[in-house]
Amino acid sequence: MKTCKIGVYICSCGTNIAKMVDVEAVREYISTLPDVALSRTYKYMCSNPGQEIIVQDIKEHRLDRVVVAACSPRMHERTFRRALSTAGLNPYLLEMANIREQCSWVHEDPVLATEKAKALTRAAVNRVKFHEPLESMSVDMTASSMVIGGGIAGMTAALELADAGHYVFLVEKDDHLGGNLARVDLTAPYLDSARDLIVERITRIRNHAKIEVHMGSKVTEVKGYIGNFTARIELVNKLDNILYQPDEVKIGSIVVCTGYKEFDASRITHYGYGKLPNVITSFEFEKMIKAGRIETKQGRTPKYIAIIHCVGSRSQEFHTYCSRVCCMTALKYAHEMKSAIPGCYVSDIYIDMHAFGKGHEDFYTRTSEVKTLFLMYDKNDKPVIRPTEPGDNCEMLIEVNERLSGEVIEIPADLVILMVGMEAREDAREMARLVNISTDKDGWFMESHPKLEPVATTTDGIYIAGTCVAPKDIPDTVAQARAAAARVLAKISKGKIDVDAVYAEVNEELCAGCRLCNTLCPYSAIEFIEDNGKPRSHVISALCKACGTCVSSCPSSAIKGRHFTDQQIFAEIEGMLA
Amino acid sequence: MAIRVNPGLIEELVHFGAEDVQYCYHCGDCSANCPHSDEVFRFPRKWMRTLQMGLERKLETALEPWLCYYCGQCSEQCPREADPGETMMSLRRWLISRYDFTGVARLFYTSRQAEIWTIIAIALLTGIGFLWYGLSFGNIHVYDGDGAFLPSSFIHTFDLTLGSLLALVLLINAFRMWYLTLHNERVVPIPWWLYIKRIYLIPWHFFTQKRYAECESKRSTHIFMPWIIHLFLMLGYVIMLVLVMAFIEQLQLGPAIFWPVHVFGYAATIGLLIGTIYFIQNRAIRNRQIQYKKSHSTDWVFVILLCIIVVTGILQHLLHRTGFLAAANITYVIHLMAVVPWLFRMPFSKWAHLVYRPLAMYFADILRDAIKIQEKKEQLIPGLAIG
Repeated sequence: MKTCKIGVYICSCGTNIAKMVDVEAVREYISTLPDVALSRTYKYMCSNPGQEIIVQDIKEHRLDRVVVAACSPRMHERTFRRALSTAGLNPYLLEMANIREQCSWVHEDPVLATEKAKALTRAAVNRVKFHEPLESMSVDMTASSMVIGGGIAGMTAALELADAGHYVFLVEKDDHLGGNLARVDLTAPYLDSARDLIVERITRIRNHAKIEVHMGSKVTEVKGYIGNFTARIELVNKLDNILYQPDEVKIGSIVVCTGYKEFDASRITHYGYGKLPNVITSFEFEKMIKAGRIETKQGRTPKYIAIIHCVGSRSQEFHTYCSRVCCMTALKYAHEMKSAIPGCYVSDIYIDMHAFGKGHEDFYTRTSEVKTLFLMYDKNDKPVIRPTEPGDNCEMLIEVNERLSGEVIEIPADLVILMVGMEAREDAREMARLVNISTDKDGWFMESHPKLEPVATTTDGIYIAGTCVAPKDIPDTVAQARAAAARVLAKISKGKIDVDAVYAEVNEELCAGCRLCNTLCPYSAIEFIEDNGKPRSHVISALCKACGTCVSSCPSSAIKGRHFTDQQIFAEIEGMLA
Repeated sequence: MAIRVNPGLIEELVHFGAEDVQYCYHCGDCSANCPHSDEVFRFPRKWMRTLQMGLERKLETALEPWLCYYCGQCSEQCPREADPGETMMSLRRWLISRYDFTGVARLFYTSRQAEIWTIIAIALLTGIGFLWYGLSFGNIHVYDGDGAFLPSSFIHTFDLTLGSLLALVLLINAFRMWYLTLHNERVVPIPWWLYIKRIYLIPWHFFTQKRYAECESKRSTHIFMPWIIHLFLMLGYVIMLVLVMAFIEQLQLGPAIFWPVHVFGYAATIGLLIGTIYFIQNRAIRNRQIQYKKSHSTDWVFVILLCIIVVTGILQHLLHRTGFLAAANITYVIHLMAVVPWLFRMPFSKWAHLVYRPLAMYFADILRDAIKIQEKKEQLIPGLAIG
């Protein structure tokens, strides 16, 4: 084994580490190990002076390996790798020992903690000897992109990208653009017309030189990796199978904006949807107001109107989440009804009033000013709708255990509007498989980080926006669509995509072509090559996330995880146990 | 059994003065602040809710609005400006109209026109009636004794008849109040002897208005003032009523008035005068206190009539004493033209507070006792206790 010159740096992290670990004792012990040329302690290794010490030492003492015993590598590995680069050393010649999260923070005995810190640092020293300099690759970025879904999110993202001068393929499965928003009349809380929001966008998209709209189509195949995807777009209803040729497009990124579908109200039996003619869903009511005629099935103008919130949302049986838009939509209906039918009575039957957004609380106050009757029910004790007997002056009676008064009451109603919640589209999982992203338990697409990466996914180059991620209102949807477009534009303007140097590699000599790894790879990063000679698997390094699943599963040990070689891992274990 | 909601009730109550109930979002600040709200009788929030929901049948059974003296603390502190104090006041007006079997109270409260025209009609009828009587049977230059323009015996008979009629109406209404509030399925069984045991509470509350003082004592400013003024006015009414009903002949007698009548007459007049001035002052300068900010039209009719009565009463007395007998007789007719409609309004307006409020306090205490008795019983029988 060749000898190396290792510099070891032990961080006190203020008192975070030093209060439990005797960092000087660790340094003294580590300095006795073979190949350790230099060891230091410092108050904050991650600070600029701390990094400067490393840079200077590498230059002065010609160090060829560095170990930093400090916090978790998730916290500062990047920082120290950058320090190595600055000093002219390959950044992968660094190893970190986590003596904070896994040591000082979780232990109470300083003596034992110090011993553990020594072992962890020793393991890092042992491992770093086997580190190899690795080079990052970069791939080209195709500037054109694809947006799936032509609702408000998809249209916004497409326009944002096209206005920046890049070609966009907009794929919509229906024969019109606008999505669910096109089914809505006015929007809460300012009562602007939804039509005004979308018509201008549709016209611009139709006439945009940089947008190619594929109406009535769906994406049936996506191959490749960030910067270099190919997708096949097919018509949903192929009229002539013989002459039909699906479009193959080359794109660099994909924005998925497939939206939501509404909850099927007939699943809740005691609301009588589908059986009682005057129990309708919010979207059916939207249709009524768009037509300008609010009436019962019998053709009469309703006098008593009831709105029931949280239909399918916030319940153990159906969906546990809140659909976020229904409260304000219900208030909007109360307003519309009070102005359309003078003298009508609106009962708003809710669990909790979620008026969280800008202007929402004021809207709620304004709705109570027009004498909307707000009634609160318990989510485990849902209202029951029953038809009236002859002699009653209304169509239905809603029995509610009203929580603010503690009374069991019956509310007269001629028309009942069920505020149906949002749910993931039935083909959401199919779409997730197609673009290789994941869904949560409710079928919504998963972000790569719920707070810090709201539009990125675990697959680079695939972005999500709007209500396919989770229920949200129009402003949030538009914000996400623009955020996704901004992420795409950032990649395009950089021109090249850096691929992490840590990925799995198949030794094609050893590969037997069993294809076990192909099916196991969670990122679909392994392709199978059958042409020219021996069939073998090949890892697309741009897609690989270095999880190591294929490495450990390969029966012929043909796959090597770069930066996680067997040799490195065994050395680390030996160091730990020494 | 579920209670049917009447979403229109909140609109109806607007006529009775409750204009802001819909703003209430049930924080309960009002109930927490109210010095009279307790374990058994919680208000105003509960009744704001009942009103919003239009639970008419339940509202009718409420004693709580009568326990409120409208100190205004709840309205001052309401974060939504839903004015719970005014709502309680409006509920009292609505309850008066509910107790009243004749429907006159409802008509007066819901239509200002109807009220004003009825009062004018009654006043005119009274004026014409007494003028006709006086001109036909008496001499306009004689005030008392033989050949008087309006002989005191005739006035006495008239007073008693009118008084009995109104008392009868009030009695029936009071019975209806009992029926609605204590005789319903919501209430615990009430032993009959409780009614007797607690009977002293009616005169006690009637004369002292003690709870009003409790209510005011929580306020930092004008501690006892409104209560004292209220008491003055109340006692003024009562003394004057007794004088008019029982001692009219002595009151109308010439210079040799029986001295206690004289003393009490002046005392009552002073009481009424102070009370009336205080009310006018408060209602005219509306911003003085929250409870006077929103006067119902019927409140104004009350005050205006009272003014006329007090002024003509004093004037008549002065004219009589200074020997302007014809003028005294005419003033007397004008006085009666105000007194009769004013008395007529009594069972149908704010005046009825005099009867219903002490009754409600009495009923409330009976109910409290009955609940205690019931609780004791349930503790004795295992398994019956209410959780």
